[in-house]
Amino acid sequence: MTNQRIALSRRGFVKRVGALAVAGLAPAVVRGQGTPMQLGVLTPLTGAGGFDGPRMLKAMQGVIDEVNAAGGLLGRKVELVVEDDQTNPESAVRAARKLIDVTKVPAIMGTWASAVTTAVAPLCWESRTFLTTVSGADSITKLPHQGYLIRTQPNNYLQAAKHAEFIAALGVKRCFMMSIQAPFSQPTQERATEVLKQKGSEMVGTLIYDKDKTTYRSEVDQALKTQPDLIYLNGYAPDVTILLRDLYRAGYTGTRFSQSYAVTSKVLESLPFEVTEGVITVQPSADVTSPAYELARKRLGIAEPDSYETQATDWASLVSLAIARAKAATGTGIHDNVRKISQGSGTKVYSAVEGLKLLSQGKEINYEGASGPCDFTDIGDILDCKFRYNKVSGGKFVLLKVA
Amino acid sequence: MENYLIAMAVSAGIYALMALGVNVIWGLAGMVNLGLVGFFAVGAYVSALLTLKLGLPIAVGMASGAVLTAAVGVAVALVTVRLRGDYLAIVTLGFAETIRIVASNTLWLTNGTDGISGIAGPYRGSLSPAAFNLTYLAIVTAIVAVTFVLAERLRASPFGRVLRAIRDDEQVAAIAGKHVALFKVKAFAIGAAALGLAGALYAHYTSYIAPDIFVPLLTLYIKLALLAGGLGNNRGAIVGAFAVVFLLESTRFVIPLVPGVSAVQGAALRELLIATALIVMLRYRPRGLIPERLPRIPVPPSTPPSVPPAAAASTKNYQPTA
Repeated sequence: MTNQRIALSRRGFVKRVGALAVAGLAPAVVRGQGTPMQLGVLTPLTGAGGFDGPRMLKAMQGVIDEVNAAGGLLGRKVELVVEDDQTNPESAVRAARKLIDVTKVPAIMGTWASAVTTAVAPLCWESRTFLTTVSGADSITKLPHQGYLIRTQPNNYLQAAKHAEFIAALGVKRCFMMSIQAPFSQPTQERATEVLKQKGSEMVGTLIYDKDKTTYRSEVDQALKTQPDLIYLNGYAPDVTILLRDLYRAGYTGTRFSQSYAVTSKVLESLPFEVTEGVITVQPSADVTSPAYELARKRLGIAEPDSYETQATDWASLVSLAIARAKAATGTGIHDNVRKISQGSGTKVYSAVEGLKLLSQGKEINYEGASGPCDFTDIGDILDCKFRYNKVSGGKFVLLKVA
Repeated sequence: MENYLIAMAVSAGIYALMALGVNVIWGLAGMVNLGLVGFFAVGAYVSALLTLKLGLPIAVGMASGAVLTAAVGVAVALVTVRLRGDYLAIVTLGFAETIRIVASNTLWLTNGTDGISGIAGPYRGSLSPAAFNLTYLAIVTAIVAVTFVLAERLRASPFGRVLRAIRDDEQVAAIAGKHVALFKVKAFAIGAAALGLAGALYAHYTSYIAPDIFVPLLTLYIKLALLAGGLGNNRGAIVGAFAVVFLLESTRFVIPLVPGVSAVQGAALRELLIATALIVMLRYRPRGLIPERLPRIPVPPSTPPSVPPAAAASTKNYQPTA
């Protein structure tokens, strides 16, 4: 055995690791004294969100590059300081601590998982750091965040209302809703029922089912008894697949409506065409008709930037504009100004650079984003957003409309 | 910066408490427990729910968290008492996942995947965030110190000796007249109590818990801490926990300095570094930074040698076949 020759002594090991760390820390301190304005990005680069995080980062970087090319913010270059939240609340809290206490960023952009956002939010509002997120859980904006949080993703309340409006507009008179057991189920059902009634349609029944069953025949029978024109399947891919099959077997000929994450292209592959024919799917959509969307397309060089990429575009723009209007790179400055540059009677602008130019001339602006109008309620939820509706035909998705 | 360092010290302290707990189960008694994050979760949920729903004081919540987690530890130990090695590891891993899934689905109690937010922290309202951090560091330090002393006493006691005997050879311990199953259950309960207390400390520190926190990632960090520090050794458990947090955090500062590495590549590189550290550690210092040293057991000087030297030598070479 040659172990002895290469083995490190304990002291040697500690010394080497220590030296490495000190070497790493020293320049970080020096860098903090530099001139660039540092904005925080905390987004999943690994873990379950590892597909969306890097794309959101790219979208934010795109906006910041443009701002820098146009002279930066308050006369300083802007730099994004990126930390990986590992799609894990425990890791995310440590990363956020670093951004807040060491880098001292005025804003953290990009949390994705709801649990991560809820874990990081208290650190942000306690230290007056502004947080922007895509997390969907309704509970997030109800946290006591004192205005230090905005979310560009529609919450379930808004989604349910929009879906119900669409269903009523289809001419559906009798709607039935089947939902999986999940935190969002009950509130979604209640809100949809309310809106359907306002729009002259009716929710003839709702039920909540357990996941991981091999058949939903009894649930399907219960739904069909009410003779609905449309059944809203509010679940996830595994159970919605079974529901679609059972509905087909039961001879249901009405419309089926579901979220696009529940009826995916994989689901379409796994079922015969006749089972999925005519299913309508919905998902939050970027505002594809907005000039801001066109700009995001060009900036990113992507044919169709998705909801996450456009929301990330809007965070970077909103935060830059709020800092410019506040004339200070602080969380409180962003907090006080974010609604003043995103809503109201100012001139409509579709990019950060355009807005910065007008702000420097002392004009008021109203940023209209690539993900939507970016108008926020008092608790930080968006007031309006677009949805994309697809219809399944021959095992493929065909765009119905974005509205 | 100080605030960050304090927060990381709190994290490391909580890791150290977990490592001390696991050290009793794994390091001393030799039972591979991959479900430690499950016990951590039980402690966190119990304390959070008791203080939030019943309005009990935080100290009572934490103590109940530790006691109830110990009870859960007894239950798990009784179920798995006949399992060893890989089989025990798989079952405990399953236990942790079960806890996580139950927490995700018991909406009325745990609020499901949304988690529980707004958990009270000691004097949180009346202190500035920095002062709260410092207070909490003091609390965590005190708890870790007390646990360390207790764990050291346990290790040196006859009880600790029996656990080591069980770890090294269960049958020999049984033949020596020790009730192996009972000792195992006790070890599990003690270790679980420390894990539960760590969970409660975590919950009251961050004010938020959700099933997503209690994933195997955390289990791996603690395993790494214990391996780095030296299995079976309490000082090692604490040193290892601090080493792991140091490694996790220092990579944050080092990687941005590597030229030509994007943030996304950097994140992957960070995970790679941590994995590499574990492999290097196991290859070159398999017994950790502070290898386990067995407590010296004094032999009464008056005891005459009962066997002649030649016979003693042959006993030494004797290999049990079982």
